[in-house]
Amino acid sequence: MSPDETAKELVLAFADDELCVGQNHSWWIAVGPFLEEDLAFSSIAQDELGHARALYSLVSNDVDRVAYGRPHSEYRSAHLAELLCHDWTKALARHVLHDLAEEIRWTALLNSSWPELKAVATRALAEEQFHIHHGVSLARRLLSSPDGYMRLAPVLSELAPLGREYFAGSDVGLVASGVLNASLADQERTWMERVEEVFDEFELSIDWGATRPAQGRAGVRSEDFLALHDEMVAVLRIDPLATW
Amino acid sequence: MNTYEVFLKKAGKEPFSHAGSLDAPDDELALAYARETYGRRSEGEQMWVVDRSAVLVGDAINLAMADRDHRHNDGHLVAELRQSDPGHTR
Repeated sequence: MSPDETAKELVLAFADDELCVGQNHSWWIAVGPFLEEDLAFSSIAQDELGHARALYSLVSNDVDRVAYGRPHSEYRSAHLAELLCHDWTKALARHVLHDLAEEIRWTALLNSSWPELKAVATRALAEEQFHIHHGVSLARRLLSSPDGYMRLAPVLSELAPLGREYFAGSDVGLVASGVLNASLADQERTWMERVEEVFDEFELSIDWGATRPAQGRAGVRSEDFLALHDEMVAVLRIDPLATW
Repeated sequence: MNTYEVFLKKAGKEPFSHAGSLDAPDDELALAYARETYGRRSEGEQMWVVDRSAVLVGDAINLAMADRDHRHNDGHLVAELRQSDPGHTR
């Protein structure tokens, strides 16, 4: 693959992560744990879909087709992003892990030699500060109570290793050409340290695993993807001319 | 949960005005929820979030009585007087 193709793959994978998480978050609209959280979480869902659209538009002139119309094996989303979280604890844990990763991924594009990508990263990173403030504040608040700790701590520990897949894929030539300001391996290390630092006082026991999962990036869809994708394209099936 | 009151101020000389209230588990989350509940469409450029327990609530002694219409002088007596006496002789 040429550096250009590798860069496009990287953007596509990032967009797919954002699309899946945005779609997954939106499941909670109107059924959030309380009104204020419902509004905040729905708004974050919308932001993530906005990020997906901005990234898709860098690699395609037909955003709808690339977002909804590809064969499943052509999606590149990490399995953590695809995970259906119809349990609030899980939804919150994935939100925190995902947004901590996003912050690092956008930061690595902040001085990208790809000007349009750099612009998207600058804009997205501003929103990311809020997502993290929200997710981390709520998670820490819950971990501070015995009941909250019992429910959230094991889920965070269980899901964290899956998040390593956000940093899977090829970055060959991307640091040299300036598209990326940090290699995927460096970003992954920064992310794992950040997750440990954020939850340091709560002594989570995270087993990061020996290898980085990479099936989603390679085109293998998780069990949950089918249901997620079906819901995603439901409107489009009814009205193929609908736009977002 | 605590209840908070949210105030927003638009740009320019507009004063802060009450946007509404919300429930949040702590101050940090109150700020996050205030943004999403009342400010997500850039309704203000400054925001105050106040724990309702910090609000001093006035009672009947602090509130003016409703029947003191001399406090609502709109000048009509003077206007009538001037109209009846255009030369201001009185």
